[in-house]
Amino acid sequence: MNTKIKLLCAWSGPALAVLATVGLALANVLPVPPAAHLDPHEIAQFYTQSTTRTLFGFALASLALGLIFPLVALIAVHMVRMEGRTPLLTFLQMVTGSATGVFLIVPMIMMATCAFRPERSPELIQLLNDFAWLMFITPLAPFCIQNVAIALAILNDPSPQPVLPRWVAFGNLWVAFLFVPSILPYFFYSGPFAWQGIFVFWLAFIAYASWAIGMGLVLRHAVLRDEAAVTMTPMHAVA
Amino acid sequence: MSRPQPRTEQALDLPDFLQEVEQIRSPSTPNKTRDTTRDTTRDQAGDQTRDKAPVKSSAIDRTSVESGLWVFIFGDMTLFGAFFTGFAWQARSEPAVFASSASKLLIGIGGVNTLVLLTSSLFVVAAVRAMHAGAPRPAARALAAALACALLFAALKVTEYLTEVGAGYTPATNLFFTFYFVLTGIHLLHVLIGAVLLFSAWRGLRAETPRVSSRFVEGAGIYWHMVDLLWVVLFPLLYISRLA
Repeated sequence: MNTKIKLLCAWSGPALAVLATVGLALANVLPVPPAAHLDPHEIAQFYTQSTTRTLFGFALASLALGLIFPLVALIAVHMVRMEGRTPLLTFLQMVTGSATGVFLIVPMIMMATCAFRPERSPELIQLLNDFAWLMFITPLAPFCIQNVAIALAILNDPSPQPVLPRWVAFGNLWVAFLFVPSILPYFFYSGPFAWQGIFVFWLAFIAYASWAIGMGLVLRHAVLRDEAAVTMTPMHAVA
Repeated sequence: MSRPQPRTEQALDLPDFLQEVEQIRSPSTPNKTRDTTRDTTRDQAGDQTRDKAPVKSSAIDRTSVESGLWVFIFGDMTLFGAFFTGFAWQARSEPAVFASSASKLLIGIGGVNTLVLLTSSLFVVAAVRAMHAGAPRPAARALAAALACALLFAALKVTEYLTEVGAGYTPATNLFFTFYFVLTGIHLLHVLIGAVLLFSAWRGLRAETPRVSSRFVEGAGIYWHMVDLLWVVLFPLLYISRLA
């Protein structure tokens, strides 16, 4: 039973990536997000051209992004075993992973608010849109700290049979670097480093989705391995 | 097998390797673990092999232990590969703007910085070799030299930025300068992280009883070579390609 719940938490990573992608595609955010250089009327039109579909998309995305929390909890359970009696990095991972979840869900609500009243003044919609996108893309600090915390815990795992393989640590450090350009949308309306740019939205989107899928699959493997080890032990004892 | 028998290769290597791991875990008591784990085999032959220990354990490290680091190295180089592709793509659409903007860069400082980074990589090679030879002191000296090069690079880069901004060229000037500041800025972040790695390796080796594994020095060295390699591509791409 415990294993089943753990597997459910592991699969919430890939499920998050798939469902959030579907939601953002329904909301028309994928493949081309509303650009920072559009004027207020173009922004308003983006949100009000097919209101119901847009709102359904944001609703689905906001629900899907909540699946990050089971994944964060499962990562924490494995990190505790690496760290032992002072699970500082585990706590850090839980706090920052949760903050990242909130920073992803709140912008969905704000974008839904843009579509909520189509008659609202375009300037107000643009203001809310700016706020939503800057919050969606730029708070990279919690996520990068989460990556580094996971990496440090894995690299300092003293066990001869490590809980997670060391390459997972280096993969996390890489993902942290992929998010570095995400701070740049503060400075650009257009080009590859504006929030709709290829090195910001697309890079961060692919990195986060790949991270959620990858961590989910790695943890699923670890859960199944532990399960096999537990069921094997009595048989070894008999033999 | 009883004590007088010659031990196998594995039996010689494995305890030393574990000791090294133990040293990283508990830096306060490195000597104790080293002594107590070598309990029964304490004869003349055992003492001899102990002197050779660093060489043997590093051989294990090199082949098997830190292979996961390459995930990061290749991943990060893929990111920069995407940056270079994006830059080249945009340069094709506005060749005149890119050419005239590139001529405003301070090629002298860029060239000196290239030499500084290449020199630092040489020092890192010396440090890794010294670690393989079981000589932490020369390794520490080489790391200090590499660290000095890293700081010199950062200082020159900041000077260059200030000069360019003073002359009115900022990331907002045009797309060339956007790419220039962002790409060299992210590279500078890599340099600073590398400097932190070199510093912690240097500090660990300078301690009374060195508490840094050759695995760590080697990992930091690989990272540093990547930082060097990225600049060796960045420099011609940004500063020199206009000459062609």
